[in-house]
Amino acid sequence: MTEQKVIPAEFIPDVESKTVTIGDKDYLVANDAMFTFYQRSKGELSPFFLAIRDEKKILGCKCTKCGIVRVPPFLTHCPDCNFAPTKLVEVDQVGVMNSTPPITYFATSMFLHMAPFGRGRVILNGADTAVSVNIYTTTGILVPGIVKKGTEVKLIFRDKRIGEITDIFCIATSELTPKQVAKKGLQESQLNWEAAIEPELPPATDDDVAACKAAIKKLQAIAMEMSRTERCRKDIAGWKRDILVKTKGGEFAIQIDNGNFKVVEREVKFPDFVLVCEDPNTLLRGLAYRGALTDSIIMKRLWISKNMEFTTIFKLDRMARSLARTKKE
Amino acid sequence: MKRVGIVGAAVTPFKARWYEKTYYELAQMATREAVQDAGITIKDVDSVFYGIYNDIFERTAIPEHPLQGIIGMQNKFGIRISNGGATGAYTMSAAHAYLAAGRFKTALVLGVEKATDCFDFKSMSATPEVIKTIGWSGDSFFEQKIGWSASDSYAEVVLGYMDEHPGDLKPEITAQIASQLSQQVKTNPYAQRQFDQVTPEEVMNSRLVVYPFKELEICVYTEGAAALIFAEEETAKAISKASGKPIVWITGVGEANEHSFAGKNQKVMSRIMSDYYGSHRAYEMAGIKDPVKTIDIVELHDAFVHQLEISMAEFDLVPLGRADSLIEDGIMTPGGKLLVNPCGGLIYCGHAVGASNIMSGWSARNELINRKLKTALLHGTGSTVAQYTTCLILEHE
Repeated sequence: MTEQKVIPAEFIPDVESKTVTIGDKDYLVANDAMFTFYQRSKGELSPFFLAIRDEKKILGCKCTKCGIVRVPPFLTHCPDCNFAPTKLVEVDQVGVMNSTPPITYFATSMFLHMAPFGRGRVILNGADTAVSVNIYTTTGILVPGIVKKGTEVKLIFRDKRIGEITDIFCIATSELTPKQVAKKGLQESQLNWEAAIEPELPPATDDDVAACKAAIKKLQAIAMEMSRTERCRKDIAGWKRDILVKTKGGEFAIQIDNGNFKVVEREVKFPDFVLVCEDPNTLLRGLAYRGALTDSIIMKRLWISKNMEFTTIFKLDRMARSLARTKKE
Repeated sequence: MKRVGIVGAAVTPFKARWYEKTYYELAQMATREAVQDAGITIKDVDSVFYGIYNDIFERTAIPEHPLQGIIGMQNKFGIRISNGGATGAYTMSAAHAYLAAGRFKTALVLGVEKATDCFDFKSMSATPEVIKTIGWSGDSFFEQKIGWSASDSYAEVVLGYMDEHPGDLKPEITAQIASQLSQQVKTNPYAQRQFDQVTPEEVMNSRLVVYPFKELEICVYTEGAAALIFAEEETAKAISKASGKPIVWITGVGEANEHSFAGKNQKVMSRIMSDYYGSHRAYEMAGIKDPVKTIDIVELHDAFVHQLEISMAEFDLVPLGRADSLIEDGIMTPGGKLLVNPCGGLIYCGHAVGASNIMSGWSARNELINRKLKTALLHGTGSTVAQYTTCLILEHE
């Protein structure tokens, strides 16, 4: 039995309302939800999902007339052959990317914890159409170029499967051993997942320490401006984070506290996450709206200890833009 | 088939958040102003076609039903069209068909959408919840649970195009187009981002949302409404005579919906075939042989700048693989052959989904009249992998 709920508790707001005043008029804004629960049948798609869950197999449907193999088997009769019947067939678990897959950095509220993630379409060997799956890498953060059109990939099965499309995902076969590529029903626990390894910083010179102190001063000036700017305050309304920043020239802290934004020269014992950048100017450029912090993470100039803290990075990028916009007005 | 023309148009201000109004009032606002623009009363309107994209945004499953009486159309024909991002354009297509067939003399085409009532209490911001709401539009068996979103779905098509044409859609060109749209929006007082001008450098520096889209290259979520009054030929002429405003005729309409799955005999990921078929069917109906020569204005559904470029190529206005010529050859730069999204497009005017293409129709009609130009191409795209398209040809008499 699972304790997991179909709607995680953290998404559910309390019953309450607030008044928003615009000009001299008040408007009532109430917390609300539209919700419907289902016991939803997978109908004719059931063999596909059952085969994934119970047998770690991938099924497609083959037209008895033209022979096209569609994966997933999303229809029972071929519309291209005057609705000739199809029959279920098993296909391989290795294939190629149909086209270069997108990578989501800013996700919907349900997938924020997963970002960045890829979603792409794989044409498995023996199939003619593509199945959509998530794409991961065992090498750290997924960046453009790891998986593209024509990249050979392997479907991997989750250890715990529930009969959903999320039971499978793919990684490039170049990250696997030949034995793993050949194995049918390869599971996620059979892969070598690198834990988040904090990058090591080189020893600091006196110049590095001085450069860090200078950067902190500039960051503090920007932080002060942001805390005074209504648009920036709104960007971090209701948000609270203590961030430990490690640079070559020294460590400092960023504090986000419901609209207040501070850069302080002190230690954080229990940070919400750690941000590592060899050059503190990377952070400075991001907050000064001269290059997004998101992009710095993607380009590996900046490292964060928790992927899910991309949300905070987005907020910092948003504040940089808000400050730039406000200054222009 | 009867000729059909546009005789009235209106939009509400497009805003990120309308605390002050529900969709009831937004719909009525646009209706009031559209009939006033046409110089008629709502009693003169025979039928209403509602463009409302997403039930969840409106927080009700038949969102149009309260509107029938609110806009004064009780006891008359009313139908809702919901076709993803292309809802507004498809709503115009449907109204045109009914009038062309002689079922009615006049039609109100009314698009309305809320969006940012949706709110994510975990991140304490609206945007992730708005994206999630749109995410319910993805295939519910195979796509939703792996994080399908409108952005990554369009990014698939753009990346598919870039696989085939790696030298096109250069970042500096997409940034320049976004910057130009931000300049064009300055003359649109109804736009959400009328005063949000950005330089190409700022666009380049904005963060990646979904690779390869940057934050300043994508449309924004908007609340608002737009309305058009359509009339068949004789009625249009009478209304025009009384109002003193010229008729803009709808001379071509074309639509296409592609496969949603990819692979052999399915969606071709490097193309937006729906744009190709939709535009070429509209050209054929309007008798347009050479669109480059004929078209003056394009009001295009620019969900993403990269898609704007591909769509322009699918319309045969630039070659496939050479869409950057829009800027490099000065085709859409100020003073160029084509006026593209003078309203700022959906990226700068805003994307109030059901109302967006109708807003584009409002803009195209006004620009044709005010600039004394002859022909406009109006476009709506939507659904997963740019699956749906409707194009209309508007001609100034």
